[in-house]
Amino acid sequence: MSSTSAHFATSRRMAVYQPNHQISMWGNSFKADISQNTGASTIVEADTKLDNRLEDIPRESLGPSKRYDQEANKPADKVVRRLAQNREAARKSRLRKKAYVQQLESSRIKLAQLEQELERARQQGVYIGGHLGDATLGLPGTVNSGVAAFEMEYGHWVEEQNRQTRELRAALQAHVSDIELHMLVESGMSHYDDLFRIKAIAAKSDVFYLMSGMWKTAVERFFLWIGGFRPSELLKVLTSQLDPLTEQQLVAVHNLQLSSQQAEYALSQGMDRLQQTIVETLASDLLGASGAANCMGQMANAMGELEALVSFVNQADHLRQQALQQMYKILTTRQAARALLALGDYFQRLRALSSLWAARPREPA
Amino acid sequence: MQQAIPYSKGAAWVRRSNDGRRPPVEPAAMAARCVASSGDIRRVVEENPVVVVGRRGCCMVHVVRRLLLGQGVNPTVCEVGEDADEAALIGELHPEMAAEGGDGGAHLRGQGMVLPAVFIGGRLVGGLDRLMAVHISGELVPILKQAGALWL
Repeated sequence: MSSTSAHFATSRRMAVYQPNHQISMWGNSFKADISQNTGASTIVEADTKLDNRLEDIPRESLGPSKRYDQEANKPADKVVRRLAQNREAARKSRLRKKAYVQQLESSRIKLAQLEQELERARQQGVYIGGHLGDATLGLPGTVNSGVAAFEMEYGHWVEEQNRQTRELRAALQAHVSDIELHMLVESGMSHYDDLFRIKAIAAKSDVFYLMSGMWKTAVERFFLWIGGFRPSELLKVLTSQLDPLTEQQLVAVHNLQLSSQQAEYALSQGMDRLQQTIVETLASDLLGASGAANCMGQMANAMGELEALVSFVNQADHLRQQALQQMYKILTTRQAARALLALGDYFQRLRALSSLWAARPREPA
Repeated sequence: MQQAIPYSKGAAWVRRSNDGRRPPVEPAAMAARCVASSGDIRRVVEENPVVVVGRRGCCMVHVVRRLLLGQGVNPTVCEVGEDADEAALIGELHPEMAAEGGDGGAHLRGQGMVLPAVFIGGRLVGGLDRLMAVHISGELVPILKQAGALWL
């Protein structure tokens, strides 16, 4: 209660002030909800009640007894009202808090789930929202649109490959005609062409991303060679599945494997040479004070040398394509269908192994 | 369309059966290298059975060389300056081809005249792409033998 000053000349002002004071009190506890209306209506009530009281009082100083009466009545009403409102406010506040906490809990659970999914997806090599080319940033920095586009297209490519593999299996089990098999084999071969095509575009966009193998699953990455599978390894997988082969075919397949190994060796040697070149460029005159111009010249040279990586990835993909096409030439239609099925199955198993590995139960730290 | 060297499609050939994985052949002498101007290149190509023309410091030249060494030949490597003009080279080596149309360089690049370029028996085989394709299809060794670069 404000001061018990008895000056009734100011009593009207007091009447005016009090409601305001009350409004601010209520405003703080109710935080801009409907209770303010209650406050306002109460103020109106208070005003009218006070006004009524004041009307009864002549405008000279009254005896203390009358003044006391008035003030005794005022607190009782107001206090009761205020207590009721406080109870109401507190109840509403408790309800709000409960709702808020419940919302927080469910958000927390959802966040934990999302984090788990992200971790799993990351381990499987689908890198969302960032790329490893920019290793200096700890966070996913600028998203390279070429990389994002490639990831999407590669995702579609894998789905289509799985579908084609299922179709091949069904066709072979149903003993369909050679003509139908031929069509399936043709689509299979051109599907691999599609892969090399999108890889070529991605290589121009971010060759280091392609070389890192982050677009593949973990186990596939283990077998990575210059941004993709090693042709001779794949040929080994195939030949074990393709009995019976004629003598001529056996020789041809053996020669193909040999040629592939030789080409792979040549490319690997070239990569080693490239590494050496870049090391020499960067390491020249490390301690010397040859000045900024020289350093920039070095960087410019190194940049030019790095460009060769794009050629290497392209040549490696070209080798993969050539090896597949040569295999296709050697085999009959039915054998080619079985070869494509075997390849599709093999890649599926590699991916499945990656998922299993990622999901394996681990010992608590 | 002009083919540098005609070749048959899909003919299987037989290597000696006791060929294991052939170890890379390191010749006792270093592969002959020349740093040449375009005028000299034509002469080198005519005088040597296997010639690789490439830019200095290019790692693909190394790949080509390794591949050919693996087949048992010792290629002559001709290095051109890093800023050598491909179109000028083509004009030098194949004047009849360059005469076709204004953009002879691009036309030939479509045919595989990129650097590094491989010449066998004085004739252009193509770039690394083409060399790989010929190698995988099994036609490289017959071509080498035909040019006298390989003996059985």
